Amino acid sequence: MGRVVAEGSSRPGRASQALGPVARFLLGRAAQAVVVLWGAATLSFAALHLLPGDPVSTLLGPMVTVTPQVRARIVADYQLDRPLAVQYAGYLRRLFTGDLGTSYQQQLPVRAVIGQQLGATVQLALAAALLGGALALAAALLTSGHDGPVRRLVESAELLAVSTPTFWLGILLLTLFSFHWKLFPVAGADGPAALVLPAATLAVPMAGLLSQVLRSGLDAALEEPFVLAARARGLGGFAVRARHALRHALIPAITLGGWLFGGLLGGTVLVETVFARPGLGRIAVTAIDAKDMPVVLGVVLLSAAGFVVVNTAVDLLYAAVDPRLRAGSVRS
Amino acid sequence: MSPADVTAVIQRGVYDSLVYQDSSGAFHPWLATSWKVSKDGKTYTFQLRHDVKFTDGTAFDAQAVKANFDSINAPATKSEYASALFGQYYQGTKVDDAYTVEVDFSRAFTPFLQAVSTTYLGIASPASLTHDASHLCAGGSYSVGSGPFVESARVPGQSVSFTRNPAYKWGPQGVGNSGPAYLSGYTIDFLPDDSTRVGSLTSGQVDAATVPVTAVKTVKADTQLTYVAHQSPGIVYSLQLNQAHAPLNDERVRQAVLDAADVPTLIKSVYFGLYQPAWSVLSPSTPGGTYDSTLANSWGNDPAKAIELLEQASYTGVDAQGYRTKDGKRLTLRWIYIAESQSDQRDTLGQALVAQFKKVGIDLERDTVAEGAYFTDIEKSDYDVLDLSWARGDADILRGFYHSASAAVQGSEDASNTRDPQVDAWLDDADGNVSPAQSAADYRDVQNWTIQHAVVLPLYVTEYQLGVSTKVHGLRYDVSGGPEFYTAWVA
Repeated sequence: MGRVVAEGSSRPGRASQALGPVARFLLGRAAQAVVVLWGAATLSFAALHLLPGDPVSTLLGPMVTVTPQVRARIVADYQLDRPLAVQYAGYLRRLFTGDLGTSYQQQLPVRAVIGQQLGATVQLALAAALLGGALALAAALLTSGHDGPVRRLVESAELLAVSTPTFWLGILLLTLFSFHWKLFPVAGADGPAALVLPAATLAVPMAGLLSQVLRSGLDAALEEPFVLAARARGLGGFAVRARHALRHALIPAITLGGWLFGGLLGGTVLVETVFARPGLGRIAVTAIDAKDMPVVLGVVLLSAAGFVVVNTAVDLLYAAVDPRLRAGSVRS
Repeated sequence: MSPADVTAVIQRGVYDSLVYQDSSGAFHPWLATSWKVSKDGKTYTFQLRHDVKFTDGTAFDAQAVKANFDSINAPATKSEYASALFGQYYQGTKVDDAYTVEVDFSRAFTPFLQAVSTTYLGIASPASLTHDASHLCAGGSYSVGSGPFVESARVPGQSVSFTRNPAYKWGPQGVGNSGPAYLSGYTIDFLPDDSTRVGSLTSGQVDAATVPVTAVKTVKADTQLTYVAHQSPGIVYSLQLNQAHAPLNDERVRQAVLDAADVPTLIKSVYFGLYQPAWSVLSPSTPGGTYDSTLANSWGNDPAKAIELLEQASYTGVDAQGYRTKDGKRLTLRWIYIAESQSDQRDTLGQALVAQFKKVGIDLERDTVAEGAYFTDIEKSDYDVLDLSWARGDADILRGFYHSASAAVQGSEDASNTRDPQVDAWLDDADGNVSPAQSAADYRDVQNWTIQHAVVLPLYVTEYQLGVSTKVHGLRYDVSGGPEFYTAWVA
């Protein structure tokens, strides 16, 4: 490291002081991200080499008839005959330059294989997260703080939502809204209409979970003395819940939501299969099954990076929601 | 359906072949106006059309054909099935003049005409071959042919779209059209989930779809749909029995396997009577009178005989679970398969077979493995049973499965590890310079032998099943039942 002299700082070597707390926090996160990615890359590299099977067969595809000479050539071409340590070092070196290699199965650069699918997965994850979040917020705000038949009905619905198999829910939605009423197309990823049913399929169980967490947070916050103060100032029940109690209830919900969203970014195989959508989930499963190493590693790295980004966003959201965590006291 | 079969159907609209094989198995001129086989059967000479252009503007000529055949047979291409279609006697392709091309073999090789009619040997633009050979199979902008359609868009894992080639005027003879296709384009969606696929068909969102056997009744009952089924020619869905090592290197044990199975009853109950039980390893719909119909009802369903045979093979003990043992070792057969391949109720069928074999004391162990491990196990011969089917409109497919020479190459075709001089002699004679009748008799002998020596347990004749909207007209089918979109229109 060279000496950094930041503007406005007369003391060399104390650059971090000059940076704002948020920037400092982000720098720390970036360093963490590098470690996480290296760990993920190393673990998946090791795992794939421990799996039974042979990458050469994958390269050739099913139903193959080739001579041993051709096989030997492939092994040499892909350096599959080199010691593991050499393969690992070469792999890390390529990663460092942003080269994810070429898929054995599809004979395309991994960046292209993943790039083609990434858009569809991110779209679906965002749509599902927004829908699930909105549903959960509405259900929790409507039913917290008092008991009654409505609350019990919503609670049963949440339980049902959480315990319904995704696969079955997808088929059910398709049967009703696509085959029967023809409101939405069956499959694919062309246009917003095709996004509705798969997003709803993913959002329903998410909403069920989030709404339970939100409501118990709201219920707890409504017991706090500051709520009494707010009520004393004449605020109505809903306003108290939405303006005062919600902040407290959001923290655990954001944590859970971030975790769920990170999971969605890795792709969702069942939904992708039922709705015949492109996406990272199907790509990953196919690649693992076929020992298509470069693709598996690419997906793992991307998911790890996704989680780092989501976690960082979650921490920044904490600060936005809870003033006590702001300015100079950002946890990193 | 093997992945390769799917590719062939998808790419058919993009690539033309020298010769067209109709659904009955007969051959017609296409890119070749005529062809001649020399007296000794070693030389095929094709006269080519003069007016054909690839969709990248390159002219089609003898040089283009040579470039294609050279490329398929170049070791660097890693071509699998396509190079196998040339057989083991291929010597090379020669340009006689601009529109005459000659293919030479070191001895007669009759299946070659059917081979050149397949999409695998469809002619690609030579420019696209050299462009980036390693990306040819990835499709997209690299698949450039002279066909009635051009691939216009591809979303991997989701769909491929094709648009009409307006310059097309060299359609195959005898299909009722030689000009541009009637459809301005079509899209093939990949819908892996059965219920999604059927739902999109019955709700009219797609015009045609492959139908899982569980939905045939629904499709048949739907007045908006026509149900079209073709029995695939070639190798039926069957268990290949590996003779490379114990226990199946003992013919008596293999015979017991066949005797233990009651195939017709199984197939009837698993497939509601929709599929035909198979008596031979070759499908009845294979062209050329090559199917051996005398095998019908000639084997199987004799548990008493199976037990007798196992006793003769020294499996005299019975363990606590009721399985036969020899020197205290249980008679276990390892059946490896890739989970994805078990569509079409094959899981259920497999379980039913396990139950039937248990009755005579054979422990059939179904072992699902990842794709990578599957091929490694095959290479190491670490299996006893392999389930396969293989569509091809020519009985020559038997060569890949049962000829000793197929051991020189690797692949799952040779799963039974059959090494028999008599079988080799029949197969060599069949694709040599003999009359079609003689060749068909040879193929029937081979089928008969595979049952006599129990190297295969045939199960059912695979079918290509489609549900097609009544709005679709003029759809043609290739010899394997795959749809051809060139002559289709929607009204």
